[in-house]
Amino acid sequence: MEKQIIASKRLGEEYIKVQHPTGLTILLCPMKGFSTAYAQFGTKYGSVDTRFRVDGEEDFAQVPEGIAHFLEHKLFECEDGVDAFERYAKTGASANAFTSFDKTCYLFTCSENFEESLEILLDFVTHPYFTQKTVEKEQGIIGQEIRMYDDNADWRVYFNLLGALYHNHPVRIDIAGTVESIAEIDAELLYRCYNTFYNLHNMVLTIAGNFDVDSALAVADKVLKPAKPIKIESIAPEEPESVYKARVEQEFEVAMPMFQIGYKGIADKDPAVNMENMVLDEILMEVLMGETSPLYETLYTQGLISSGFAGEVMSSRDYYCSIFSGESKDPDKVYDLLRNEIESIKTKGIAKEDFERAKKSIYGRYLSMYSRADSIAGLMTQAYFSNVDAYYVLEKAADATLEKITERLKTYDNAKSAISIVKPISA
Amino acid sequence: MSYQVKSVNIGNGIRYSSVTDKKFKHNRISVCMVMPLERESVTVNALVPYVLKQGTKNCPSFVELNKKLAELYGASLDAAVDKYGKYQLLSLAITSIDDRYALNGEKLIEECAKLLCEAVLEPNISDGEFKGDVVELEKQFLIDTIRAEINDKRVYAAGRCRSIMCEGEPTAIKKYGYEEDAKAITNKTAAQAYENIINNSKIEFMFVGSGDPTSGEKVVREMFSGLNRTNVTEIEPIEYKPNVEKAKTVTETMNIAQAKLVMGMRVGVPENDREMAALRLMSSLYGGTPVSLLFKNVREKLSLCYYCAARFNRTTGILTVESGIEDANKDKAITEILAQLQAVKEGKFTQEELDHCKMILSTASKAATDSLSALENWYLTQLMRGTNISPDEDFALLSSITAEEITKMANTVQLDTTYLLTGAAQA
Repeated sequence: MEKQIIASKRLGEEYIKVQHPTGLTILLCPMKGFSTAYAQFGTKYGSVDTRFRVDGEEDFAQVPEGIAHFLEHKLFECEDGVDAFERYAKTGASANAFTSFDKTCYLFTCSENFEESLEILLDFVTHPYFTQKTVEKEQGIIGQEIRMYDDNADWRVYFNLLGALYHNHPVRIDIAGTVESIAEIDAELLYRCYNTFYNLHNMVLTIAGNFDVDSALAVADKVLKPAKPIKIESIAPEEPESVYKARVEQEFEVAMPMFQIGYKGIADKDPAVNMENMVLDEILMEVLMGETSPLYETLYTQGLISSGFAGEVMSSRDYYCSIFSGESKDPDKVYDLLRNEIESIKTKGIAKEDFERAKKSIYGRYLSMYSRADSIAGLMTQAYFSNVDAYYVLEKAADATLEKITERLKTYDNAKSAISIVKPISA
Repeated sequence: MSYQVKSVNIGNGIRYSSVTDKKFKHNRISVCMVMPLERESVTVNALVPYVLKQGTKNCPSFVELNKKLAELYGASLDAAVDKYGKYQLLSLAITSIDDRYALNGEKLIEECAKLLCEAVLEPNISDGEFKGDVVELEKQFLIDTIRAEINDKRVYAAGRCRSIMCEGEPTAIKKYGYEEDAKAITNKTAAQAYENIINNSKIEFMFVGSGDPTSGEKVVREMFSGLNRTNVTEIEPIEYKPNVEKAKTVTETMNIAQAKLVMGMRVGVPENDREMAALRLMSSLYGGTPVSLLFKNVREKLSLCYYCAARFNRTTGILTVESGIEDANKDKAITEILAQLQAVKEGKFTQEELDHCKMILSTASKAATDSLSALENWYLTQLMRGTNISPDEDFALLSSITAEEITKMANTVQLDTTYLLTGAAQA
């Protein structure tokens, strides 16, 4: 077994990277003094992977939207009828799973019986079992879940924005799919996706917190079977650089209009570059609209934002956008002021002191990600799928320069932005 | 790890407590001002911490204040309003990275403590009123917060059920207060409320983190020694209202896709810590975990609800069952939810199910020791209750509870209010 230590001088901390003979990469970060352990078993397979082929097959397979999320639900069921939650109940672990655009992860957190819980995690994720009957039952449950999200204003404003920014990219579709798309799912399709993306070479196991490295590896040795190397090509349809629609609005039972403003960027082919750009853009967004910015002061004193004004970057393999969100009595006015501010800062440049302050702030924010077992495991997973180590983002925050930020500012193009508004139902 | 909380009385109803652990990378200092929950003062009191966090005499504009926070490596100054039984908790907390990660050797604990004390003691008040427009702005945000309750239908429905159920009791008073009262707040009434809070609240400082708490204590002692406080609020033990006079059923309509059913129940008065622990376990066994009776039977087996969970509030003695259902399934869901309660009352659960619940609660209480805010919350609650139980001791107590103790407490549960929020189309 190949082991490698990955260390951070800045933090005085390290983790171990193991290349397991089965093909799985395992990242282990024991943390002294912590009482809980957190494990995450992830596959590089998310809601956007709806078109793919394996090992140079001639044709690409097209699968229904929402199938990755559907598969996530189904994996918890086991052949003997005992679902994974019931098995975890015996160990006391608190378990969950999530599907995002670019990955699916199964996780648990526990304070005792770590090895038993890890065994359950590795076992149920590597043993799929579905029948046509259980698939049909799940269609009802997920249909309910989709309807629940239809009642969630935050979710609506977000997906309406992605639908406005993107013409064709599947990132514009709800992660759970639609009631219509999930109706097309059957057991055979699920097995096909499973056998493609749940190959151990396409997965990573990350563990952080209170656990013993050797015992964790012993569980992996016991449960996992070697997988054949696989080459997966997942492609998204051709996506223009322009936005699909500049404005989208929906009426909803909310008290105050909610908005999200998106700037469509260009994803670099190198995921490491995307990760660095994400850190730099967070500093840039802090300069542009953080709580110490003139724009924030204007919005605040004019009563144009309530409950904060947040900026975040959404980036992965082949999509990249920056999103500004909040609630406002006049979202269009916020949008105008933001566009003006971007133009004006491009002209007059970013002040050195504003940059330094924003950088300290973002550095502090990243530092805090290394104090919790769950966020460290999450970072190790995300970093691994982007071909970097888990300390990369902290170093990129520490290495940020005014020049780099100024370069990033140039990519913010008002012509490639859009606004999504959810507003109260008009009388 | 077993934590020791160290408390020192600063005098005049002010206490400074600390819990430290080197494993953290941050320090958090909070001040919690405890006031009686009263219909007349609740709204204006709720505004005060948010006004205080916007500026001080030294940093009158929030931009100045936020610049200072950014310089402290993105330290955060947060305001919060909460309820504890018949008390309103008004808090400010500052969190920042530990001194050992500061790039230029700044003394962050001392600076943060100073900033927190300034925010509390040196607001921008002269001639008996707040200066500038911060009260007007925060007032608007408070109104928005009060109105925004309807955005999350699940939370809204649970809140409506509690209000209907506890009408006339202090616990029915909403923590952020009421829109009509918020509208009437002026610079003067806000300043009066501030004076009242500073003079009469019980004040709890809490330091949690990896640094040296005494440097914060020194600052607090110096800055708070000059206060002449009379008539400090005494925290009385919590009283439950265990009897249901007449069960209520209320249906309301709103434009939503999925109906929300909330059942509010009252529990008997626990006579000691064991009975309290039995109540918590009972609620967890009934509907608090993925192995609970509600989750396994009502959600999974019968697919009646997308979510179905019980929650017990120790500070009010109220047990609520929240669920998301199809309108057509309403009667069936109510019947099943009550049938599962009956099962707990009759002891129809296995030792295994009980052990699973204990393990899940154990993970939860141990996890509290891995996060600053959870540790703070844990020990603040202990201080309020006049106890000093560590998360480990709490777990030992929970572990020793028997099935008989649980059924005994389950038999004190009475249904009070059944509340249904349903889609307008079906009404």
